[in-house]
Amino acid sequence: MSNTEGSTVPLLAARDLVKAHGRTEALHGASVELREGEILAVTGASGSGKSTLLHCLAGIVRPDTGSVTYAGERLDRLPEKRLSELRRTEFGVVFQFGQLIPELTALDNAALPLLLAGVRRQEARERAGEWLERFGVRGQGELRPGEMSGGQAQRAALARALVTGPKVVFADEPTGALDSLASEQVMTALTHTARESGTAVLLITHDAQVAAYADREVRLADGTVAPLEVAA
Amino acid sequence: MRADLRLAWQLTRGSDRREWWRVGLTAVGAALATGLALAGVALASLDGYVAMPFADGLLDDPRQRAGVVFSLALLLIPVLGFLGQTARIGAVHRDRRLAALRLAGATPWQVRRIAGLEAGLACLLGSALATAVAVPVLLSLWTSPTALAWAGMALVALAVPALGAATAALALRRVVASPLGWVRRVRAARRPGWAFLTAALLLAASAGLALLTPLFDRPHVLSPVPLAVLALTLVVGAAAVLLTGWSSGLLGRTLAARAQRPALLIAAERLRDDPWAAARTHAAVLLVTVIGTGFVGVRQVLLAELHAMSRVDHLGMDMEFYTTGLDLTAAAILVALGLVLSALAVGTAESLATRRRGLAAQHAAGVPRGVLARALFLETALPLAPAVAVAGAGGMAIGAWYASLTREYVVHVVPYVSLLAPLAVYACCLLAAATSLPLLHRSVRPAELRYA
Amino acid sequence: MIGMSTRHILLGLLATGPSHGYDLKRRHDERFPQARPLAYGQVYTTLQRLVRDGLAEVDGTDSDGGPERTTYRSTEDGARELAEWAGQIAPPAPFVTNEIFAKVVVSILSGGDAEAYLRAQRAAHMARMRELTAVKTARGTDLATVLSADYALNHLDADLRWMTTTAARLTTLTAEVDAG
Repeated sequence: MSNTEGSTVPLLAARDLVKAHGRTEALHGASVELREGEILAVTGASGSGKSTLLHCLAGIVRPDTGSVTYAGERLDRLPEKRLSELRRTEFGVVFQFGQLIPELTALDNAALPLLLAGVRRQEARERAGEWLERFGVRGQGELRPGEMSGGQAQRAALARALVTGPKVVFADEPTGALDSLASEQVMTALTHTARESGTAVLLITHDAQVAAYADREVRLADGTVAPLEVAA
Repeated sequence: MRADLRLAWQLTRGSDRREWWRVGLTAVGAALATGLALAGVALASLDGYVAMPFADGLLDDPRQRAGVVFSLALLLIPVLGFLGQTARIGAVHRDRRLAALRLAGATPWQVRRIAGLEAGLACLLGSALATAVAVPVLLSLWTSPTALAWAGMALVALAVPALGAATAALALRRVVASPLGWVRRVRAARRPGWAFLTAALLLAASAGLALLTPLFDRPHVLSPVPLAVLALTLVVGAAAVLLTGWSSGLLGRTLAARAQRPALLIAAERLRDDPWAAARTHAAVLLVTVIGTGFVGVRQVLLAELHAMSRVDHLGMDMEFYTTGLDLTAAAILVALGLVLSALAVGTAESLATRRRGLAAQHAAGVPRGVLARALFLETALPLAPAVAVAGAGGMAIGAWYASLTREYVVHVVPYVSLLAPLAVYACCLLAAATSLPLLHRSVRPAELRYA
Repeated sequence: MIGMSTRHILLGLLATGPSHGYDLKRRHDERFPQARPLAYGQVYTTLQRLVRDGLAEVDGTDSDGGPERTTYRSTEDGARELAEWAGQIAPPAPFVTNEIFAKVVVSILSGGDAEAYLRAQRAAHMARMRELTAVKTARGTDLATVLSADYALNHLDADLRWMTTTAARLTTLTAEVDAG
């Protein structure tokens, strides 16, 4: 694809990742690069290692072998404390569901990363409110996740992922539980915001229509990156 | 019935580790309940004055024996609380499974029978073990037990599993009534029902009655209306439960609005969401706090009085007779405390295990484990503080009231030492809640993020 | 928009009032943004046929300062025909003419690399889907454009899914084709 576009040094790069869960090997020598501000779709059948790849890239799990480099730092060698900090400042995460705390309101959920960073509650809520506004769920700010529709909850989750102004957003099947209209709204909101703010997005999906929102696609098969076109 | 039994066995056999924990701990609780009940029955079957070779003559007199039997019966309360907590292990999963059975066409009674059999078999295991230990012990102490003792013991050994099965079947009424609701994970904050309020009112009434009966006039030191003290204790305990529910709601609302720190915010919002969860978990803790605080006060006053009496040679029995009684009571209260703390630890661990997927997601999103741990800890610590304080004050009042009654030989003192009891209980509770924190470490593994 | 009748579309555009050929082409391309643009010659011959069949007639000519242009309008027969067509359901794909499947089979028969072909086809489909998505999500896009892009996206997605399952079953298919 368009390898010549954008900056030459990747923001986030994984090389030859191997990761086993028990006896099954989820990743088997996968390499992938994410450039600054790029929206990259990772597709593949279920069980092809998509989620494990995301977990490795986001510093949620350490690969058994191989390296993950973020902005010149080796993520696979960083201590857990620093990884956790990185995840809440430089990265944003959106899952299929479950990333919102069920007992907190949408507004408090979106404000949580700021609270963790030591921002005062009032200011955190104001800034989170602006993000909810951008995603069209300001009116649902005082609702708890269980009281919102799936699409609204996912948009609140996007607000939470983006509230700290991260460099990379990791989205693991963000529309997996949504109907096509809600899915379109979530994806449009995500890609518009990411493009405007120059945030890179690593998007895991098995849905080609969702993958089409990305600039580029990486296809996984059996834990490794499959060629997309005729081998050169 | 055979088909139900087979299904119950298959379901239990195919279930995950947490369900085995439930079965195991239920068996332990049932064994404890059976043991206590067997000891009570054996003692109660004795008639008149019996010379016991142990316990410093405390069990010789029928009146004191009745007191011991009564204490054993009271010890059943924390055991039941413990059983109530263990029944919650993996309960969400079990209820969903039974609801699925309902949806698959099982009749309400079939589902009740299956759940009853599961619990009943676990209780039968515990009761059988306890009986197997109790019978040889009894035979070694008592050469020819009466037929009444045997009958009572057989009754207990059978009643425990039967009651366990019945309770399990009864507890399923919500699942049976609306299976769909449980499959969809609809959760409602449960307030204490009419049964709880009725029980509290009845206890208050019986305490009042006991206070009005002329038992007071008895000259014996050891007879200041145990019934009145204990009924009062139960009333204070019930009040503490109501207060916990009410205050944890208030605490949640107040703190949630003002919290600046994320851990406090999360804990406060959880309290606001379901204040009665804390109340249910802490009911037995509060009861033990009342009893424990009251006992420490009574013991202090009583010992002072006994020493004073022995100086003027007014004691009816050896000093050991009284101290053994007090020591046995202390031991019973400590056993109760241990049970209550185990129940609390089990409850905290279960609450954590139920939410492990969400916790793993939070950790993956960068919420530090420390924040999650503090939130979990505060969830126990916050609502317990005012409740233990009130329960402690209640126990203190009991001790002070007792002190005010017995001023014949010693000057009236307020037993301030008993104030240490609620503090100790609170500290133990925090420790018990903290035991589940290592579990958090395992719960936030990324493996939990995988969609089951 | 396979199988869609240009006749009826033009009749439909004429239903709003008399119009000339170039205007009809422009309005068609505007209204159906993701469809293949109409060639002016095609508009002209279709209009001739409509007049021949009595579904449309010449309204007059105007020049507007430029070259002379013939204006057409719909007849009553034309309006009836249009109403009938619009009410008919579209036959749900009665004969599947699947070029992709034909190429896979031919490629197996001739000893070619069916897998490589499917991969290349998939990449081309994805590239087109990304284009359509970009059109659809650009700010200020009207709903007609979004909906017609969605239509195309869903069809391409269906092709893609078919290609994915076919690629996974190529070995069995090869055995079957070779045996036959």
